[in-house]
Amino acid sequence: MEPEPQPSERREESSLAEGGVTGPVPVDILTADASHYRSESLWTKSIRKFARDPMGIAALVIVSVFFAIACGVWAGWIGQNWSSLQADGYTGMSREHWFGTNINGQDIYARTIQGTKTAFEVGLIVAVLSTVIGGILGAVAGYFDRTIVDEVIMWLYGCLDAIPFYLFVAAVAFALRDQPYAMHVAMIATFWSSTCRIVRGEVIKIKSLEYVQAAKALGVGSMTIIFRHVIPNTFHILLVQGTIAFVSAIKSEVILTYLGLGVKHGVSWGTMLSESTFEVSAGIFNNFIAASSFLFLLVIAFNLFADALQDALDPKKVTAS
Amino acid sequence: METLQFAFRKILYAIPLLFGVTLISFLLMVYFGPDLTYSLIGKNPTAEQIAEVRTQLGYDQPFFIRYGMFLKEMVTFDFGNSLSTGERVSSILLRTVPVSFAVALPGFVLSELLALALALIAANHRGGFVDKGIMVFAVVGMSISFLIVVIVFQIAFCSIYGLNLFPVQGWVVSNVADYFHYVAVPTMVIVFVGLGYNTRFFRAVIVEELNRDYVRTARAYGVSRFRILSAHILKNAMIPISTRVIISLPFVVIAGNLVIERYFNIPGVGLITYNAITTGDLPIVKAVVTSTAILYVIALVFTDIVYRMIDPRVALNS
Repeated sequence: MEPEPQPSERREESSLAEGGVTGPVPVDILTADASHYRSESLWTKSIRKFARDPMGIAALVIVSVFFAIACGVWAGWIGQNWSSLQADGYTGMSREHWFGTNINGQDIYARTIQGTKTAFEVGLIVAVLSTVIGGILGAVAGYFDRTIVDEVIMWLYGCLDAIPFYLFVAAVAFALRDQPYAMHVAMIATFWSSTCRIVRGEVIKIKSLEYVQAAKALGVGSMTIIFRHVIPNTFHILLVQGTIAFVSAIKSEVILTYLGLGVKHGVSWGTMLSESTFEVSAGIFNNFIAASSFLFLLVIAFNLFADALQDALDPKKVTAS
Repeated sequence: METLQFAFRKILYAIPLLFGVTLISFLLMVYFGPDLTYSLIGKNPTAEQIAEVRTQLGYDQPFFIRYGMFLKEMVTFDFGNSLSTGERVSSILLRTVPVSFAVALPGFVLSELLALALALIAANHRGGFVDKGIMVFAVVGMSISFLIVVIVFQIAFCSIYGLNLFPVQGWVVSNVADYFHYVAVPTMVIVFVGLGYNTRFFRAVIVEELNRDYVRTARAYGVSRFRILSAHILKNAMIPISTRVIISLPFVVIAGNLVIERYFNIPGVGLITYNAITTGDLPIVKAVVTSTAILYVIALVFTDIVYRMIDPRVALNS
């Protein structure tokens, strides 16, 4: 799906400098202000574009705050007291327990903070691995399109797409009994396919471009072409797909944990929300509000960040502006 | 004739896919799956009894024979008996699929229609205030977890903290009024959860159509905005839209809605599957996973063939 030009872009002044980077630049413009062109790569252009998007910047700031919290937990500075029984169950909000305590008297604030770490753990593992696998297989399939390699890769993702996600996780959980990483494995095994599909389509376009043809004519090996010349040119897709996978992973974690298929050791927003399903009917909302507001804030920030990233990185828009 | 040939080739292409999904299901749930010997056997079994059950389950057979047995189960619709209740899995499915269908269908239809309407409005006011409002709503909707929506809607409509209009959970349906009574909140949840994604997708499809030449031509001829949207764009956007709708149907019907059925305690496929997952009732999970996957592949082939009949330009290799 080709994103339509945003109205904000049409208003942008299309300066001569921006139009001249990819095409041949007239000599008189070059001499007029040569320093301006050298720094202008597709990446710097994207960054400039992103910096002009207030929504994107706001989203990035929120995501960074969450990431800082997760790093704080990893470093052992905050949220370490999440499992000790510190008070009576269901105490309200107080100075010691900012968000109150849960049924066992564990501090909900510490658990929410610890849950941030769990969310980033799940999100990062799944996003990175599924994007790497999808990117490599997609590039290989696209480069060798209409060969047996391509057919096998397409067949593989066709099969995985046919099995409903939650049921696939259940099936993987059956196969990997008592493995805490069954959920991660299942998510990676399903999330790579959309990245693979998009990268494959892009690589089919890229491989007919001159620089790939030139590399081929020089006798560069197929794998070298794929890894050195083709994949770096799909990074903008991988970045966006990675953010989408991250969001899907932390949203799925909550549902899977509620269904008993997700996080089993430690605490996550999913375990907190599962606990809260027994509490809300009794009018106790501490767990629910703490976990759901953190989850919502992180997910919406990431969604907006992904949107802004997509707008900034789309090469068609970059050259069109 | 050509259509027939097209259909035949599409069906031929589906065979490796069917082979793949059954193989994945088999590998995950049967070959590397849990050993059922001790779930089927009584206490203090003798060595002969154990051996007998293992033979019955086919554990002493080589890989391909076992895969063949698995395929035979799928083809004959004979998935064995549930481990926890002893009921035949096929009769459990026949009992629960209609319930899931009844729960999911109104929400599914309303969600698609409402999303299409919102997408048309947003596309019509592209770049304007209305468009931005709808898209912000869509992103917010996409960002709220399914589980949170279920909990909030239950509090809001079914509890003393909210309107307290509908039953908290359960499914006791004997007439139409009961049906509406019980299906109302699940429907609202399904509509809300699907709306954001669907609106975004539909709007993207419609906007892409809006940029095409025929729209400019129609506008130049003075065709009204409404007529362009309703008669021309909608017609052309129908292919991607209905693909999405048809393809998601098997998931809605068979996989049910695990979260909704569990939360509202509705005895559909979702709840049965959830219970089977937590108790390790392999025959049920196996049957649900594999039959959904097979139905998905069939739906895929079916849509391709129908499009070809509607629109002969659809090429075989696209």
